[in-house]
Amino acid sequence: MINKQEKTNLLSQGVFIFVCLAVLTLLEFLVAVTFNSLVVLVVVALVKAGLVLYYYMHMSKLNENPDAATDHESYAFKTGTNRAGLWLFLLSDAFVFGGLMAMRLNLLGLTRPDLNQNLGLFVTVVLLVSSFFMNRGETHLHNGNRAGFLKNTMITFILGLAFLLGVVMIEWHAIPSVAEAVLHLFGEPAGRTPLKPSSGVAGAAFFMMTGMHAFHVLTGLIFLAVIWVNGKRGLYDEKQYPVEAAAVYWHFIDVVWIFFYPALYLIGTAI
Amino acid sequence: MKHNPLRNAFVFLLAFGAVGYGAGLGIDRFVTGDFHFSGAVAAAFALLFSVAAFFFGLYGYRGVTRGLTFQVVGMFAGALFVTLIRTLMGLKAFDAFLFSEPAWVFGGLVGAIAFLFGVGVVSDWMKWARGIDTPEHHEDEPGWRKFFGVSLDHKVIGIQYTVTALFLISVGGLFALIFRTELAESQLQFLTENLRLFDQSGPQLYNTLMSLHGMIMIVSILLGIAGIMNYAVPMLIGARDMAFPRLNAFAYWLSVPAIMLLLMSLVLGGFDTGWTGYPPLSARAPVGMQMFFLGVFVAGWSSILGGLNVIATTLRMRAKGMSPFRLPILVWSALAASIIQLTATQLIGLSFQLVMFQRLFDMGFFDPAKGGNPVLFQHLFWFYSHPVVYVFVLPGLGVISELLPVFARKPLFGYRWVALSSLGIATVGSIVWAHHMFASGMNEYLRVPFMYSTMLVAVPTGVKFFSWVATLWGGKIETPTPMLFVLGSIVVFLFGGVTGPPNAMVALNLHLHDTYWVVGHFHDTIFGGFVFPFFAALYYWFPKATGRRMNEFWGKVHFWLMTPSFLVLTFGMMFIGLRGMRRRIVDYDPAQGFDHAQLILTICAFLIAISILIFLINFFRSIKHGEVATGNVWKSRSPEWQVPSPMPAHNYDVPFEVVGEPYDYGLAGSKYIEFAADGAGKKH
Ligand code: HEM
Ligand SMILES: [Cu+2]
Repeated sequence: MINKQEKTNLLSQGVFIFVCLAVLTLLEFLVAVTFNSLVVLVVVALVKAGLVLYYYMHMSKLNENPDAATDHESYAFKTGTNRAGLWLFLLSDAFVFGGLMAMRLNLLGLTRPDLNQNLGLFVTVVLLVSSFFMNRGETHLHNGNRAGFLKNTMITFILGLAFLLGVVMIEWHAIPSVAEAVLHLFGEPAGRTPLKPSSGVAGAAFFMMTGMHAFHVLTGLIFLAVIWVNGKRGLYDEKQYPVEAAAVYWHFIDVVWIFFYPALYLIGTAI
Repeated sequence: MKHNPLRNAFVFLLAFGAVGYGAGLGIDRFVTGDFHFSGAVAAAFALLFSVAAFFFGLYGYRGVTRGLTFQVVGMFAGALFVTLIRTLMGLKAFDAFLFSEPAWVFGGLVGAIAFLFGVGVVSDWMKWARGIDTPEHHEDEPGWRKFFGVSLDHKVIGIQYTVTALFLISVGGLFALIFRTELAESQLQFLTENLRLFDQSGPQLYNTLMSLHGMIMIVSILLGIAGIMNYAVPMLIGARDMAFPRLNAFAYWLSVPAIMLLLMSLVLGGFDTGWTGYPPLSARAPVGMQMFFLGVFVAGWSSILGGLNVIATTLRMRAKGMSPFRLPILVWSALAASIIQLTATQLIGLSFQLVMFQRLFDMGFFDPAKGGNPVLFQHLFWFYSHPVVYVFVLPGLGVISELLPVFARKPLFGYRWVALSSLGIATVGSIVWAHHMFASGMNEYLRVPFMYSTMLVAVPTGVKFFSWVATLWGGKIETPTPMLFVLGSIVVFLFGGVTGPPNAMVALNLHLHDTYWVVGHFHDTIFGGFVFPFFAALYYWFPKATGRRMNEFWGKVHFWLMTPSFLVLTFGMMFIGLRGMRRRIVDYDPAQGFDHAQLILTICAFLIAISILIFLINFFRSIKHGEVATGNVWKSRSPEWQVPSPMPAHNYDVPFEVVGEPYDYGLAGSKYIEFAADGAGKKH
């Protein structure tokens, strides 16, 4: 059994990591708009990714698996196998994003698409906050607080949806009037033509990278909806792995964005 | 009287093929106002209808038939959906091949997904999403019928993979025979400019068949190694099944819609890029190109998920006492191959996707006019497509190391080195890809590093050769059919291996690149590393799967017909390649003096085809009529042979523990495994 002290510790750890991530994100932004050092941006991104991998995705749980000697049919053993499977999948998926990153570096080098950096910061923060709530929801379930789990998962879902709609409607100009109005709010200078997939390699790289990421956000939202509905129905008292898996996947999407955000909005000079 | 299902199947195939052809012809006429009797649309309809009907006749409306029906319906629904949207947007609704290109692509994707729902391989996951638990163990149908529907048993899935691979090898081989016949003599004989089939002229059809031969064979190899790994790995490590049985079935069933898409690419105008699909040519080829990309993409996912499963199984499901250095070599090499499958495959998927999007949305990735870079495609593509050659051969090399000690009755020489060499090959093999691009205009400073890294691969490969030779040395060698194929593998792979380093020398490469020399090189590596070991594995594990063995006499005929023909074929290829025979080309100048050589090559190709036909007949006949063999046919130490054949579902009734080294043949008193006493710890 976990005692009360441990429960609060786990929750406050989540808060602490979130604060670190938020500070680093802000730092990144400030570096980019002032002296724009590539090295600093890369280091910050690596640190952020490391924090998420270790504290939010609990990578170390891969080592906590009960070993092969335990009954292969037990839930604990199967959870260990499932964890290995999920991480292998993420490794594979990381190669897609790595390939996209290589594509971007090859085609654009130290230039970047001419995008609204304020809006970029905003959507990044939205995704980051959603990761925080995801972690909180998972911790609540772990602590036996179902209501807390449901509430936080719901918030995560809403933030994720906001991110997705933000990218598609505003960044992609799917609804031009809305996009222009919102961009105006974010201090968009007049007369900048929106990027199109067909407008040169900058447009191609931008749409491909955000598109692949948005597709993963969409699937992540589906998993969130599934665990929310099933959690509402009373599942996951004992067998909590599905929630862990959805959370790990959600954080993975955030890790990808930790690298894509500077790659698209911060490094190099805008073209 | 009951009808023979196979007869039914062919009757249905013909009848519905005709119906589909008629329907396609009519619809095409309706849209274009003209009849195109050998056109793409009629052929596409005929293909889709006849394949689904074939399985209906064989098996009824369930399993694979239901999947294919869903795929056909899904494809048309998706295509019509896009067509409708295009009409509403005021874009051109129909095109040369009935639907517009975006409609075909979307339809192809929807069809592939629909297949998975139709065949029923996602139904458990759908239930899980609704919070319903499903049991992992369900009974399979008896007899051959279980192979046509979803089964979760790794042995059934292994056989499904294997038979699908054999089917694809036959299709790819048939394509090769067609274009090899055209090559037998200079000038165009039957693939002429006047020929018109599937909206392609003779030379265009040559290009399509040649390109599809490459990719269909590659997919068949991926399925073949998946067959071996699925069948053997859980048995060898004492697991009751793979780590994720549902994912396993899912990965297999992905391959079926992938094959349909690849075949669609033949009829929808084809494409002429070769299996590599380089832009800018692939950015302009007919719609067939897109179907090809989609098919490879889906097959790629099959390979990724299959690899994931093998890794997880090896990590998690081993029997007691099976420490890393007591793992069978085949498992080590399957692990190394799976790591490549899991990771690098994403890059070919991505590179093909980028061309797809370039075509669909006018994105400029590889279009220099937009600032894009065609060489980037080649980097992404070869980042997978070189390492994948080790996916092809590592399991095969594992089979060689696995079987040699059995038939040499001696311990495997240098077990640890061999075990680690697979990982070594996989690692070094991942940093050599640009040796395919020396002539492509890539940055020059990349040439020398990639030359040296390529040469380095020869080191871990050499380790394997030393081990094989030393294992044979002084052994009491027996040569039943599986061993013949093992020995053949070693010889053929040696030729493939020694012709590699010359390719890797930049200076030589500029001369050899894109000639028949390269074609000879890689056929030797692939036959030595995959085809021969695959046959060895089939002859070897056939009794395990069926309780009968394949006919020895015809097995030997198969070997002695195939091996010399094959060696002459590839030596001939290298010979004319060195003297300037271009690859991927329908015709050559009579003045080059290649006519005699080319004729011999074509004859060899037909001899190989005959030998494989003999194999296929032997294979399918022996299932029913082979000599009964339920015991330890090859006197192997491996655990699967210590229990009667065929294996029951979930493998070992009594679990075993590993107590010694796997390959200590001929050492008195040595022991590899021990079954738990009086069935203690029985699993059922
Ligand atoms: C010592 C080992 C090897 C070396 C040094 C080597 C080197 C090379 C090089 C440099 C090329 C490019 C030739 C060109 O197009 O200009 C090539 C082509 C090729 N190799 Fe190898 N190779 C080795 C082993 C293998 C193995 C084990 C396989 C496969 C199973 C393989 C399959 C191929 C294939 C399929 C191609 C042709 C690809 C294409 O252009 O379509 N090679 N090899
Ligand atoms: Cu290569």
